[in-house]
Amino acid sequence: MNGHPQFDVDFDLYALGALEGEELQTLESHLESCPECLRRLEEARGRLSRLALSVPPEPVPPEVLERLLGRVHAHRAKQPAPIFAGLWRWATPALALALLLLVVALGLVTARNRDLTRRVTLLQLALTQQETEADRARHVLDVLTAADTVKVTLVPASARPVPQGKAFYHAKKGLLFYAANLPALPTGRTYQLWLVPAEGKPISAGVFQTDAQGNGSILLPPLPPGVTAKAFAVTVEPAGGVPQPTGQKVLIGLVS
Amino acid sequence: MPAIGNGSEIEITDLALIRRVVGGDETALAVLYSRYAGMVYSVAKRILGETGAAEEVAQDIFYQLWRTASRFDLARGSLGGWLLVAARNRSIDRLRRRQSRGQPEKHGDEPGIDQVALNLNVETSVARKEMISQVRGALDRLPEEQRKALELAYFEGLTHSEIATRTGDPLGTVKTRLRTALESLRQALNP
Repeated sequence: MNGHPQFDVDFDLYALGALEGEELQTLESHLESCPECLRRLEEARGRLSRLALSVPPEPVPPEVLERLLGRVHAHRAKQPAPIFAGLWRWATPALALALLLLVVALGLVTARNRDLTRRVTLLQLALTQQETEADRARHVLDVLTAADTVKVTLVPASARPVPQGKAFYHAKKGLLFYAANLPALPTGRTYQLWLVPAEGKPISAGVFQTDAQGNGSILLPPLPPGVTAKAFAVTVEPAGGVPQPTGQKVLIGLVS
Repeated sequence: MPAIGNGSEIEITDLALIRRVVGGDETALAVLYSRYAGMVYSVAKRILGETGAAEEVAQDIFYQLWRTASRFDLARGSLGGWLLVAARNRSIDRLRRRQSRGQPEKHGDEPGIDQVALNLNVETSVARKEMISQVRGALDRLPEEQRKALELAYFEGLTHSEIATRTGDPLGTVKTRLRTALESLRQALNP
Protein backbone atom coordinates (compact mmCIF):
# COMPACT_ATOMS: atom_id res chain seq x y z
CA MET A 1 0.00 0.00 0.00
CA ASN A 2 1.97 3.00 -1.20
CA GLY A 3 -0.85 5.54 -1.32
CA HIS A 4 -3.92 6.14 0.79
CA PRO A 5 -6.05 3.15 1.72
CA GLN A 6 -8.82 2.93 -0.82
CA PHE A 7 -11.76 2.16 1.45
CA ASP A 8 -13.05 3.54 4.72
CA VAL A 9 -13.43 -0.01 5.92
CA ASP A 10 -9.62 -0.31 6.02
CA PHE A 11 -9.62 2.30 8.75
CA ASP A 12 -12.43 0.47 10.51
CA LEU A 13 -10.36 -2.72 10.48
CA TYR A 14 -7.34 -0.86 11.84
CA ALA A 15 -9.34 0.86 14.59
CA LEU A 16 -10.89 -2.48 15.44
CA GLY A 17 -7.44 -4.05 15.84
CA ALA A 18 -8.18 -6.80 13.33
CA LEU A 19 -5.27 -6.05 11.01
CA GLU A 20 -1.96 -7.80 11.52
CA GLY A 21 1.35 -8.51 9.82
CA GLU A 22 2.13 -6.68 6.63
CA GLU A 23 -1.30 -5.07 6.32
CA LEU A 24 -0.92 -3.52 9.76
CA GLN A 25 2.64 -2.31 9.20
CA THR A 26 1.86 -0.78 5.84
CA LEU A 27 -1.08 1.20 7.15
CA GLU A 28 0.77 2.29 10.28
CA SER A 29 3.73 3.60 8.33
CA HIS A 30 1.40 5.46 6.00
CA LEU A 31 -0.46 7.01 8.92
CA GLU A 32 2.76 8.45 10.29
CA SER A 33 3.01 10.84 7.38
CA CYS A 34 -0.59 11.38 6.29
CA PRO A 35 -2.78 13.81 8.27
CA GLU A 36 -5.70 13.15 5.94
CA CYS A 37 -5.66 9.43 6.75
CA LEU A 38 -5.26 10.18 10.46
CA ARG A 39 -8.47 12.16 10.19
CA ARG A 40 -10.17 9.23 8.51
CA LEU A 41 -8.91 6.99 11.32
CA GLU A 42 -10.43 9.33 13.88
CA GLU A 43 -13.73 9.03 12.05
CA ALA A 44 -13.43 5.25 12.03
CA ARG A 45 -12.85 5.22 15.80
CA GLY A 46 -15.96 7.29 16.32
CA ARG A 47 -17.95 5.12 13.94
CA LEU A 48 -16.94 1.92 15.69
CA SER A 49 -17.59 3.33 19.14
CA ARG A 50 -21.27 2.98 18.34
CA LEU A 51 -20.92 -0.79 18.56
CA ALA A 52 -20.50 -0.39 22.30
CA LEU A 53 -24.08 0.84 22.44
CA SER A 54 -25.30 -2.64 21.55
CA VAL A 55 -24.44 -3.77 25.08
CA PRO A 56 -27.46 -3.68 27.41
CA PRO A 57 -26.78 -0.97 29.99
CA GLU A 58 -26.16 -2.07 33.54
CA PRO A 59 -26.33 0.05 36.68
CA VAL A 60 -22.94 1.06 38.03
CA PRO A 61 -22.42 0.23 41.70
CA PRO A 62 -22.75 3.53 43.62
CA GLU A 63 -19.40 3.17 45.37
CA VAL A 64 -17.58 3.68 42.05
CA LEU A 65 -18.59 7.34 41.96
CA GLU A 66 -17.57 7.77 45.55
CA ARG A 67 -14.15 6.25 44.85
CA LEU A 68 -13.78 8.45 41.78
CA LEU A 69 -14.52 11.59 43.77
CA GLY A 70 -12.06 10.43 46.41
CA ARG A 71 -9.33 10.25 43.76
CA VAL A 72 -10.35 13.64 42.40
CA HIS A 73 -9.98 15.19 45.84
CA ALA A 74 -6.66 13.47 46.43
CA HIS A 75 -5.41 14.72 43.06
CA ARG A 76 -6.56 18.21 43.85
CA ALA A 77 -4.85 18.13 47.24
CA LYS A 78 -1.52 17.30 45.57
CA GLN A 79 -1.66 20.35 43.33
CA PRO A 80 0.34 23.21 44.87
CA ALA A 81 -1.52 26.45 44.99
CA PRO A 82 -0.04 28.65 42.24
CA ILE A 83 0.67 31.51 44.62
CA PHE A 84 2.92 29.30 46.75
CA ALA A 85 4.66 27.82 43.74
CA GLY A 86 5.52 31.29 42.52
CA LEU A 87 6.64 32.64 45.86
CA TRP A 88 8.77 29.65 46.74
CA ARG A 89 11.56 30.63 44.41
CA TRP A 90 11.91 34.02 46.05
CA ALA A 91 11.39 33.07 49.64
CA THR A 92 14.02 33.46 52.33
CA PRO A 93 14.57 30.38 54.53
CA ALA A 94 12.46 31.91 57.28
CA LEU A 95 9.68 32.78 54.91
CA ALA A 96 10.02 29.32 53.36
CA LEU A 97 9.49 27.73 56.78
CA ALA A 98 6.50 29.95 57.44
CA LEU A 99 5.04 29.07 54.08
CA LEU A 100 5.71 25.39 54.71
CA LEU A 101 3.84 25.56 58.01
CA LEU A 102 1.03 27.38 56.32
CA VAL A 103 0.85 24.75 53.59
CA VAL A 104 0.80 21.97 56.19
CA ALA A 105 -1.97 23.73 58.08
CA LEU A 106 -3.92 24.23 54.90
CA GLY A 107 -3.35 20.59 54.05
CA LEU A 108 -4.85 19.52 57.36
CA VAL A 109 -7.86 21.74 56.83
CA THR A 110 -8.17 20.49 53.28
CA ALA A 111 -8.04 16.87 54.37
CA ARG A 112 -10.74 17.57 56.91
CA ASN A 113 -12.87 19.27 54.33
CA ARG A 114 -12.27 16.67 51.66
CA ASP A 115 -14.88 14.27 52.94
CA LEU A 116 -17.38 17.09 53.41
CA THR A 117 -16.77 18.28 49.85
CA ARG A 118 -17.32 14.79 48.50
CA ARG A 119 -20.56 14.53 50.42
CA VAL A 120 -21.68 17.91 49.13
CA THR A 121 -20.97 16.83 45.57
CA LEU A 122 -22.97 13.66 46.02
CA LEU A 123 -25.81 15.64 47.58
CA GLN A 124 -25.76 18.14 44.71
CA LEU A 125 -26.00 15.26 42.29
CA ALA A 126 -28.89 13.75 44.23
CA LEU A 127 -30.59 17.15 44.29
CA THR A 128 -30.17 17.48 40.54
CA GLN A 129 -31.79 14.11 40.04
CA GLN A 130 -34.64 15.00 42.39
CA GLU A 131 -35.26 18.26 40.55
CA THR A 132 -35.39 16.30 37.35
CA GLU A 133 -37.97 13.96 38.79
CA ALA A 134 -39.99 16.92 40.07
CA ASP A 135 -39.91 18.49 36.60
CA ARG A 136 -41.14 15.26 35.15
CA ALA A 137 -43.94 15.02 37.70
CA ARG A 138 -45.04 18.58 36.87
CA HIS A 139 -45.04 17.71 33.20
CA VAL A 140 -47.18 14.64 33.82
CA LEU A 141 -49.62 16.77 35.79
CA ASP A 142 -49.73 19.36 33.00
CA VAL A 143 -50.71 16.73 30.48
CA LEU A 144 -53.36 15.26 32.74
CA THR A 145 -54.99 18.57 33.60
CA ALA A 146 -54.73 20.58 30.37
CA ALA A 147 -58.14 21.48 28.97
CA ASP A 148 -57.29 20.38 25.46
CA THR A 149 -55.78 17.04 26.43
CA VAL A 150 -57.44 14.23 24.49
CA LYS A 151 -58.45 11.27 26.64
CA VAL A 152 -58.82 7.94 24.94
CA THR A 153 -59.70 4.59 26.50
CA LEU A 154 -58.20 1.66 24.66
CA VAL A 155 -59.80 -1.78 24.64
CA PRO A 156 -58.86 -5.01 22.89
CA ALA A 157 -59.37 -4.50 19.16
CA SER A 158 -61.70 -7.45 18.85
CA ALA A 159 -63.76 -6.71 21.94
CA ARG A 160 -67.18 -5.16 21.79
CA PRO A 161 -67.31 -1.82 23.58
CA VAL A 162 -68.16 -2.35 27.22
CA PRO A 163 -70.63 0.05 28.83
CA GLN A 164 -68.97 2.07 31.53
CA GLY A 165 -69.50 5.17 33.60
CA LYS A 166 -67.29 7.47 35.60
CA ALA A 167 -68.50 9.57 38.53
CA PHE A 168 -66.52 12.38 40.19
CA TYR A 169 -68.27 13.30 43.41
CA HIS A 170 -67.49 15.79 46.13
CA ALA A 171 -70.05 15.99 48.95
CA LYS A 172 -69.89 19.82 49.03
CA LYS A 173 -68.87 20.69 45.46
CA GLY A 174 -71.07 18.41 43.46
CA LEU A 175 -71.21 15.50 41.02
CA LEU A 176 -69.87 14.96 37.51
CA PHE A 177 -70.90 11.86 35.64
CA TYR A 178 -70.37 10.56 32.17
CA ALA A 179 -71.14 7.24 30.57
CA ALA A 180 -69.96 5.54 27.42
CA ASN A 181 -70.98 2.62 25.21
CA LEU A 182 -74.48 2.32 26.62
CA PRO A 183 -76.97 0.58 24.34
CA ALA A 184 -79.74 2.66 22.79
CA LEU A 185 -83.02 2.47 24.67
CA PRO A 186 -86.49 1.93 23.23
CA THR A 187 -88.83 4.88 23.02
CA GLY A 188 -90.34 5.80 26.37
CA ARG A 189 -87.33 4.64 28.40
CA THR A 190 -84.46 6.64 29.85
CA TYR A 191 -81.31 6.18 31.87
CA GLN A 192 -81.44 7.47 35.42
CA LEU A 193 -78.44 8.09 37.69
CA TRP A 194 -78.68 7.37 41.42
CA LEU A 195 -76.57 8.42 44.32
CA VAL A 196 -76.77 5.69 46.97
CA PRO A 197 -76.08 7.37 50.33
CA ALA A 198 -74.31 5.72 53.23
CA GLU A 199 -77.67 5.79 55.00
CA GLY A 200 -81.14 6.04 53.56
CA LYS A 201 -82.77 5.57 50.17
CA PRO A 202 -81.18 6.25 46.77
CA ILE A 203 -81.31 9.87 45.63
CA SER A 204 -82.02 10.64 41.98
CA ALA A 205 -79.19 12.57 40.27
CA GLY A 206 -81.19 13.03 37.09
CA VAL A 207 -82.00 11.32 33.84
CA PHE A 208 -79.96 11.32 30.65
CA GLN A 209 -80.11 10.16 27.06
CA THR A 210 -77.25 8.81 25.02
CA ASP A 211 -75.91 9.81 21.62
CA ALA A 212 -75.30 7.51 18.66
CA GLN A 213 -72.09 6.21 20.26
CA GLY A 214 -73.83 5.47 23.58
CA ASN A 215 -72.28 8.44 25.38
CA GLY A 216 -74.18 10.52 27.95
CA SER A 217 -73.46 12.77 30.89
CA ILE A 218 -74.86 14.61 33.89
CA LEU A 219 -72.96 17.59 35.22
CA LEU A 220 -73.54 19.13 38.64
CA PRO A 221 -77.16 17.99 39.20
CA PRO A 222 -79.06 19.48 42.15
CA LEU A 223 -78.39 17.25 45.16
CA PRO A 224 -78.82 17.75 48.90
CA PRO A 225 -75.47 19.06 50.22
CA GLY A 226 -73.14 17.03 52.39
CA VAL A 227 -74.45 13.59 51.52
CA THR A 228 -71.87 10.83 51.94
CA ALA A 229 -72.10 8.51 48.95
CA LYS A 230 -71.78 4.76 49.26
CA ALA A 231 -72.31 4.00 45.59
CA PHE A 232 -73.58 5.27 42.25
CA ALA A 233 -75.83 3.37 39.91
CA VAL A 234 -77.61 3.77 36.60
CA THR A 235 -80.96 2.15 35.96
CA VAL A 236 -83.33 2.06 33.01
CA GLU A 237 -86.58 3.81 33.90
CA PRO A 238 -89.71 5.22 32.26
CA ALA A 239 -89.17 8.51 30.39
CA GLY A 240 -88.93 11.47 32.80
CA GLY A 241 -87.54 9.32 35.59
CA VAL A 242 -88.97 7.96 38.82
CA PRO A 243 -88.59 8.92 42.51
CA GLN A 244 -87.02 5.58 43.42
CA PRO A 245 -85.31 3.04 41.18
CA THR A 246 -87.54 0.40 39.70
CA GLY A 247 -85.76 -0.83 36.60
CA GLN A 248 -82.77 -2.90 35.67
CA LYS A 249 -79.35 -1.76 36.98
CA VAL A 250 -77.02 -1.32 33.99
CA LEU A 251 -74.10 0.27 35.81
CA ILE A 252 -73.01 0.33 39.42
CA GLY A 253 -69.92 1.54 41.19
CA LEU A 254 -69.05 1.47 44.88
CA VAL A 255 -67.21 4.36 46.50
CA SER A 256 -63.93 2.88 47.66
CA MET B 1 -30.05 22.76 36.59
CA PRO B 2 -29.00 19.86 34.43
CA ALA B 3 -31.24 16.88 34.11
CA ILE B 4 -29.90 13.40 34.08
CA GLY B 5 -31.22 10.83 31.72
CA ASN B 6 -34.92 11.42 31.87
CA GLY B 7 -35.53 12.45 28.30
CA SER B 8 -36.21 16.00 29.29
CA GLU B 9 -35.10 18.82 27.05
CA ILE B 10 -33.35 20.72 29.78
CA GLU B 11 -30.27 18.53 29.79
CA ILE B 12 -27.08 20.55 29.89
CA THR B 13 -24.66 19.95 27.03
CA ASP B 14 -21.42 18.00 27.28
CA LEU B 15 -19.54 21.10 26.19
CA ALA B 16 -20.88 23.18 29.07
CA LEU B 17 -20.11 20.41 31.53
CA ILE B 18 -16.59 19.91 30.18
CA ARG B 19 -15.94 23.62 30.64
CA ARG B 20 -17.09 23.36 34.21
CA VAL B 21 -14.88 20.32 34.77
CA VAL B 22 -11.91 22.30 33.41
CA GLY B 23 -12.76 24.94 35.99
CA GLY B 24 -12.62 22.31 38.73
CA ASP B 25 -16.34 21.70 39.18
CA GLU B 26 -16.75 18.21 40.60
CA THR B 27 -20.51 18.30 40.27
CA ALA B 28 -20.12 18.71 36.51
CA LEU B 29 -17.89 15.64 36.50
CA ALA B 30 -20.51 13.79 38.51
CA VAL B 31 -23.21 14.79 36.02
CA LEU B 32 -21.09 13.56 33.09
CA TYR B 33 -20.48 10.41 35.09
CA SER B 34 -24.22 9.94 35.56
CA ARG B 35 -24.71 10.43 31.85
CA TYR B 36 -22.05 8.05 30.56
CA ALA B 37 -20.81 5.77 33.34
CA GLY B 38 -23.50 3.19 32.63
CA MET B 39 -22.37 2.82 29.02
CA VAL B 40 -18.68 2.74 29.95
CA TYR B 41 -19.20 0.23 32.73
CA SER B 42 -21.45 -2.03 30.66
CA VAL B 43 -18.95 -2.23 27.80
CA ALA B 44 -16.11 -2.98 30.20
CA LYS B 45 -18.15 -5.66 31.93
CA ARG B 46 -19.18 -7.20 28.61
CA ILE B 47 -15.51 -7.46 27.58
CA LEU B 48 -13.99 -8.40 30.93
CA GLY B 49 -16.85 -10.49 32.25
CA GLU B 50 -16.51 -9.33 35.85
CA THR B 51 -17.66 -6.40 37.90
CA GLY B 52 -14.49 -5.50 39.82
CA ALA B 53 -12.32 -4.94 36.76
CA ALA B 54 -15.15 -3.12 34.98
CA GLU B 55 -15.52 -0.77 37.96
CA GLU B 56 -11.81 0.02 37.82
CA VAL B 57 -11.94 0.73 34.10
CA ALA B 58 -14.90 3.09 34.55
CA GLN B 59 -13.25 4.87 37.45
CA ASP B 60 -9.91 5.24 35.61
CA ILE B 61 -11.55 6.68 32.52
CA PHE B 62 -13.51 9.34 34.39
CA TYR B 63 -10.45 10.17 36.45
CA GLN B 64 -8.53 10.74 33.24
CA LEU B 65 -11.38 12.93 32.02
CA TRP B 66 -11.02 14.99 35.18
CA ARG B 67 -7.29 15.44 34.66
CA THR B 68 -7.27 16.04 30.90
CA ALA B 69 -10.59 17.77 30.25
CA SER B 70 -8.82 20.94 29.17
CA ARG B 71 -7.41 19.09 26.16
CA PHE B 72 -10.78 17.99 24.91
CA ASP B 73 -11.95 19.76 21.78
CA LEU B 74 -15.63 19.17 21.32
CA ALA B 75 -15.50 20.86 17.94
CA ARG B 76 -13.44 17.90 16.73
CA GLY B 77 -14.48 15.02 18.89
CA SER B 78 -17.34 13.51 20.73
CA LEU B 79 -17.09 12.91 24.45
CA GLY B 80 -19.45 9.93 24.27
CA GLY B 81 -17.40 8.48 21.42
CA TRP B 82 -14.11 8.92 23.23
CA LEU B 83 -15.45 7.40 26.44
CA LEU B 84 -16.68 4.35 24.57
CA VAL B 85 -13.41 3.96 22.66
CA ALA B 86 -11.45 4.30 25.89
CA ALA B 87 -13.70 1.80 27.67
CA ARG B 88 -13.27 -0.73 24.89
CA ASN B 89 -9.51 -0.26 24.46
CA ARG B 90 -8.67 -0.38 28.14
CA SER B 91 -10.84 -3.42 28.68
CA ILE B 92 -9.26 -5.24 25.73
CA ASP B 93 -5.81 -4.39 27.12
CA ARG B 94 -6.73 -5.87 30.46
CA LEU B 95 -8.17 -8.91 28.77
CA ARG B 96 -5.00 -9.50 26.80
CA ARG B 97 -2.82 -9.06 29.86
CA ARG B 98 -5.00 -11.46 31.77
CA GLN B 99 -4.76 -14.01 29.02
CA SER B 100 -0.97 -13.51 28.95
CA ARG B 101 -0.72 -13.84 25.28
CA GLY B 102 2.76 -12.37 25.32
CA GLN B 103 1.83 -10.06 22.50
CA PRO B 104 2.47 -6.36 22.37
CA GLU B 105 -0.56 -4.37 23.40
CA LYS B 106 -2.11 -3.26 20.16
CA HIS B 107 -4.42 -0.96 22.03
CA GLY B 108 -1.77 0.49 24.28
CA ASP B 109 -1.70 3.64 22.20
CA GLU B 110 -5.09 4.83 23.26
CA PRO B 111 -6.32 7.63 21.06
CA GLY B 112 -6.24 11.03 22.67
CA ILE B 113 -9.38 12.63 23.87
CA ASP B 114 -9.54 14.63 20.63
CA GLN B 115 -8.74 11.72 18.35
CA VAL B 116 -12.20 10.24 18.16
CA ALA B 117 -14.09 12.21 15.57
CA LEU B 118 -17.79 11.72 15.27
CA ASN B 119 -20.89 13.59 16.12
CA LEU B 120 -22.06 10.75 18.32
CA ASN B 121 -25.13 12.44 19.64
CA VAL B 122 -25.82 10.57 22.84
CA GLU B 123 -25.91 13.52 25.19
CA THR B 124 -29.59 13.23 25.91
CA SER B 125 -31.31 10.05 26.99
CA VAL B 126 -33.69 10.30 24.04
CA ALA B 127 -30.79 10.48 21.58
CA ARG B 128 -29.06 7.65 23.39
CA LYS B 129 -32.10 5.42 23.15
CA GLU B 130 -32.48 6.19 19.48
CA MET B 131 -28.83 5.44 18.75
CA ILE B 132 -28.94 2.22 20.78
CA SER B 133 -31.98 1.11 18.83
CA GLN B 134 -30.25 1.88 15.50
CA VAL B 135 -27.08 -0.02 16.42
CA ARG B 136 -28.92 -3.05 17.73
CA GLY B 137 -31.14 -3.10 14.67
CA ALA B 138 -28.12 -2.91 12.35
CA LEU B 139 -26.37 -5.74 14.18
CA ASP B 140 -29.49 -7.87 14.22
CA ARG B 141 -29.78 -7.55 10.45
CA LEU B 142 -26.27 -8.89 9.86
CA PRO B 143 -25.96 -12.56 8.91
CA GLU B 144 -25.07 -14.63 11.96
CA GLU B 145 -21.50 -15.43 10.89
CA GLN B 146 -20.74 -11.76 10.08
CA ARG B 147 -22.13 -10.58 13.38
CA LYS B 148 -20.13 -13.19 15.25
CA ALA B 149 -16.87 -12.19 13.50
CA LEU B 150 -17.55 -8.54 14.31
CA GLU B 151 -18.29 -9.28 17.96
CA LEU B 152 -15.12 -11.37 18.31
CA ALA B 153 -13.09 -8.50 16.91
CA TYR B 154 -14.83 -5.75 18.88
CA PHE B 155 -15.52 -7.37 22.23
CA GLU B 156 -12.56 -9.73 22.42
CA GLY B 157 -10.02 -7.74 20.42
CA LEU B 158 -9.19 -10.65 18.12
CA THR B 159 -7.28 -10.18 14.89
CA HIS B 160 -8.26 -11.75 11.59
CA SER B 161 -6.15 -14.86 12.15
CA GLU B 162 -7.23 -15.19 15.78
CA ILE B 163 -10.86 -15.13 14.70
CA ALA B 164 -10.10 -17.77 12.07
CA THR B 165 -8.47 -19.95 14.72
CA ARG B 166 -11.38 -19.46 17.08
CA THR B 167 -14.11 -20.21 14.54
CA GLY B 168 -12.23 -22.74 12.43
CA ASP B 169 -13.02 -20.78 9.25
CA PRO B 170 -10.46 -20.00 6.52
CA LEU B 171 -8.61 -16.70 6.99
CA GLY B 172 -9.89 -15.32 3.70
CA THR B 173 -13.47 -16.07 4.69
CA VAL B 174 -13.02 -14.29 8.00
CA LYS B 175 -11.56 -11.22 6.28
CA THR B 176 -14.46 -11.06 3.84
CA ARG B 177 -17.03 -11.47 6.59
CA LEU B 178 -15.56 -8.76 8.74
CA ARG B 179 -15.14 -6.35 5.85
CA THR B 180 -18.71 -6.98 4.65
CA ALA B 181 -20.08 -6.60 8.17
CA LEU B 182 -18.33 -3.25 8.63
CA GLU B 183 -19.55 -2.01 5.24
CA SER B 184 -23.14 -2.97 6.08
CA LEU B 185 -22.88 -1.37 9.49
CA ARG B 186 -21.60 1.89 8.08
CA GLN B 187 -24.36 2.05 5.52
CA ALA B 188 -26.99 1.26 8.15
CA LEU B 189 -25.77 3.83 10.64
CA ASN B 190 -24.73 6.69 8.39
CA PRO B 191 -27.47 9.18 7.73
